[in-house]
Amino acid sequence: MDKTFQKRNFITIFTKGDWISKLSYVIPGAGNIFRGQVIKGLLFLLLGICYLIFMVQKGAGFLRDLVTLGDTLQGMNFNEALGIYEMSEGDNSMLILLFGVVAVVITVSYLAIWLFSIYSGEAARANAAAGKKVRNFVEDVKSLANENIRFLLLAVPVTGLLVFTVMPLIYMILMAFTNYDQDHQPPGNLFDWVGVTNFFTLLSAGDRLSATFWPVLGWTLIWGVAATFSCYFGGMILAMIINSKGIRFKKFWRTIFVFTMAIPSFISLRVVATMLGERGIINVLLQQWGFTESALPFLSNVTWARVSVILVNFWIGVPVTMLMVSGILMNIPGELYESAKLDGAGPVTTFRKITFPYMWFVTTPYLIANLISNFNNFNPIFFLTGGEPHTLTYYKGAGKTDLLVTWLYKLTKDSNDYNLAATIGIIIFLISAVFTLISFSRSGSMKNEEGFQ
Amino acid sequence: MKKHTLIGLRTEYLGRALAAAVISLICLFLPYVQLSDGKNSLFQVFLKLLGDSGRTGLSVIVFGTVILTITSAATGIFSVIKMGKTQTKIWQCLQIFSAIFWVILLFAGKMILEGNGIAAHVLVKELGIGFWIGLIASIVSLVLIMKAAYTNTGYIVLTVLGIIWMFPVLWILLTSLRAEQGYYVGYFFPKNLTLQNFVKLFGNESVLPFGRWWINTLIVASCGCVINTLIILATAYTLSRTRFSGRKAFMNVLMIIGMFPGFMSLIAVYNILKGLGINQSLLALVVVGAAGAAMGYHVTKGFFDTIPRAVDEAAIIDGASRLQIFLHVTLPLSKSIIVYTVLGNFLGAWSDYIFPSMLFGDKQSSYTVAVGLYWLTDFRRIDRYYTQFAAGAVVVALPIVILFIFLQRFYVEGLSGSVKG
Repeated sequence: MDKTFQKRNFITIFTKGDWISKLSYVIPGAGNIFRGQVIKGLLFLLLGICYLIFMVQKGAGFLRDLVTLGDTLQGMNFNEALGIYEMSEGDNSMLILLFGVVAVVITVSYLAIWLFSIYSGEAARANAAAGKKVRNFVEDVKSLANENIRFLLLAVPVTGLLVFTVMPLIYMILMAFTNYDQDHQPPGNLFDWVGVTNFFTLLSAGDRLSATFWPVLGWTLIWGVAATFSCYFGGMILAMIINSKGIRFKKFWRTIFVFTMAIPSFISLRVVATMLGERGIINVLLQQWGFTESALPFLSNVTWARVSVILVNFWIGVPVTMLMVSGILMNIPGELYESAKLDGAGPVTTFRKITFPYMWFVTTPYLIANLISNFNNFNPIFFLTGGEPHTLTYYKGAGKTDLLVTWLYKLTKDSNDYNLAATIGIIIFLISAVFTLISFSRSGSMKNEEGFQ
Repeated sequence: MKKHTLIGLRTEYLGRALAAAVISLICLFLPYVQLSDGKNSLFQVFLKLLGDSGRTGLSVIVFGTVILTITSAATGIFSVIKMGKTQTKIWQCLQIFSAIFWVILLFAGKMILEGNGIAAHVLVKELGIGFWIGLIASIVSLVLIMKAAYTNTGYIVLTVLGIIWMFPVLWILLTSLRAEQGYYVGYFFPKNLTLQNFVKLFGNESVLPFGRWWINTLIVASCGCVINTLIILATAYTLSRTRFSGRKAFMNVLMIIGMFPGFMSLIAVYNILKGLGINQSLLALVVVGAAGAAMGYHVTKGFFDTIPRAVDEAAIIDGASRLQIFLHVTLPLSKSIIVYTVLGNFLGAWSDYIFPSMLFGDKQSSYTVAVGLYWLTDFRRIDRYYTQFAAGAVVVALPIVILFIFLQRFYVEGLSGSVKG
C-alpha cells in the first residue's frame, strides 16, 4: 500500500507531510488554501488572526492576572493638585477570574479549531493523493445537511453550553480554591488563591463550618433515601390499586392524583406551607375537631419539620411514580399471575415474588437517578421550610432541614460566601458521581445502547 | 376458591361482617363521652339531642350514625339468614354510609357536643371506648362485606387518599373565592364568595403588577419551550442517529456537567449576562434556558433510539439527505415525544424560581409568577395578600393543569421512555 493512503495522526501529519502540511501548523488554513479549498482555508486563517489579535490585546493580560487575581487594592489617594482625597480604582479579583476563565475557554476552543484546520488540510491532501475530487466550499456547506449534519445541529447547543454552562462552571470550580467570602468582596477587597483550605475547613472536625457540614450532609442523605423510597413504594402501591381488577373509573382516579403533579410545584408547596403554619388551616381544623389543644409545630420543630417535608414530598412525588409504574405494570406477563394464583399465592406473595422483583429489575437505574435528584431537590425544602428551623450550632443561615443544595443557595444569595458555596457544589458533584458510577455498574443500558435498533 | 362461592358471594366473610356490624351496634350503648352527669353512651347523647328543640344542624350526624348502625345491623342479619346478592349489595350500601357517618362523627363530635351545650370541653383522645370500638368495627364490617360481595376494597384506600390529595387544591380554590381577607380564618368554607380577588389581581389600581408577571411568564415559557425543544431534538437526533468520533465523549461531558448543581454557577452566568448587556431582562431567561437545554436530551434520544434504522436507510436509498430524514421522517414519527418535550419545557420555564429570583432582585416589573407569588407569601405580606395569592395561584396553575390533563397520555409515554433510557 502506498504510504500516502495511510491515516496519519497529529505527529505524523507533521513528520511525514510536505511543506504545505508543515506550514499548516504555523499558518492555520494553509493546508486548505494551497490544496484548492481557498475559502475554507481563508476562514481558518481569519479565525487564527482574530484569536491572535485578541490574545495580544487582552487575552494574554487576562491569563497573566489569573495568577495573582489582582494586587492593587482600591484605596483613597491624596490628590495634591486638587487638594482632595479621591478614589483610586483597584483590581477587581472577581472580574479578573471571570476574564481569565473566558480567555482560557477561548484559547481551548481555538486550539480545537486549530487542530481541526490541520486535520482538514490533511484530509484535503489525502483526497487529492487518492485521486478523489477535493470538495469546494459550496459542497462543504452542502455536506452540513448530510454526513456532517452534526456540525449543523450541534453548533447552537454546544455554543450555548460553552458560554452559559461550561464557562460559569469552570469559574465556580476555581472559586472553590479562593477565599472569595464575605470578608473578601470585590471591588473593595481582593481575594486570592488559597489552595484546598476550603475543603479542609469544611470537612475537618472542630470548626463551626464542619459542625454544620456533616449534619447537613447526613440529613441530605436521609432525606434522599426517605424521599425516593417513600414515593417509589407509595406510587407502586397506588398504581397497583388503580390498575387492579374491579376498580372502575380508572381514568377518574388517575386524574385526581395527577392534579397535584400538574400544579407547578412552587405553588403547591407554598400553599401547603401556608396551610401548615401555626395559624394555618390544618392547625385550625385540628383544634376545631378536638384532635389537639394547641397548634402543632409542623414546620417549626426539627423532627416535625423533617417528617413534614418528607410527607409533603410524598404527596407531590407519588403521582409521578404512579404514572410511570402504570406503564411498566402492564408489561408484566399476565401468565405469571395466573400460574401464581393456581398455586394458591395470595396478593402479598404475588407482590413479593412477581411484581416487586420485576419492577425492581426494570427501575433500578431510574431509582438511582431519582436518588441523586432528590439529594439535590431544592424545591420542597426551599418552598416549604426555607431550611428552617434555625439553630445556633450551625453556621449562620443554615437550618435544620437545609439540604446541601439549599445551603449552597443561601451561601451564594444571602451571605456571599462564594468559596464555600463552590466547595459544597464540588462535594455534591462527587456524591452524584459516586451514585452514577454505581448505577452504571449495575445496569447494562449504557452498554447495549444499540440494542433497540 | 369456587366451593365457597354462592351466586357471586363469598359466604365465609358474611358471618364475620355481621359480627363486626353487631359489635358496632352494641358500641352505641357503651360509654362515648364523659359529661357532667357521668359517662354517656352515644345512644344517650342521641336521646338528649332528640329532646332538644334548639339543636344545631350538625346533630344530624349523631342521628345518622345511630340510625344507620341499627339499620345496617338489621339488614345484615336479614341478608345472612336469607343469602343473596341483592341483599348483600343493599347491606353494603347501608354499611358504607354507616362507616362514613362514624368517621365524620370522629371529626364533628367536638362541634356537636359543644355546639349543643352538652359538654363544655371535648378532646378526641378523651372519647370513650364505645366510640373507638364502634368506629373500627364499622369499618372492619364494611371491608368484610365488600370482600363478600367481590367489591374491590381498593375503593376505600382510593377515596381516603383522594380526599387527602385534593384537600390542598380545594383549600386554595376556596380561598381564592373567599370574600373575607386575611391569612387566618377559623373555618374551612368561606362565609361569602366573591370574584373580587381575581379582579383586584388584574385591576389597574392594584399595587401588584400581577398581569405583567403573568404575561412575562407566558412570554418566557412559550419562547423557552419552542427554542428548548428545537435544541433538544437536534441534540438527541445527532447523538442517536449519527456516529462520529467524540460522540461518546460528548455524552459523558454532558453527563458530568449535569452532576453539578445547576444554580451553583448562577453568579458567573449573571456576570456574563451583564457583560452582554442583557441582565435584568426576560431575554436573559430565554437565552440561559436555551443554552442549558441540550443537557435534557436523554429521554428524546431514548425515543429516537427505538425508531428502526431501516427507516433511515430506506430514505437514504431514495436519495434523501440526513437533514431531510430528520425533518421529514424522524420528526413526524416522534409526535408523542415532541409533545412531551414541549410540555416539560413549558412547565419548567413556567415554574422556574431560582434563576429569575436571582436575576431580577428588586425589579418587580420583570418578575415571573414564581418569583412574584413567592414574594407575596413572605410573612410580612401574607396577611394582606393571602386571598390574592390564592387567586394568583389558581390563575397560574389553571392553564398548566388543563394542558396536563389533556396531554397526560404523552407524558406517560415520555416517562416510561425515561425508565428505559
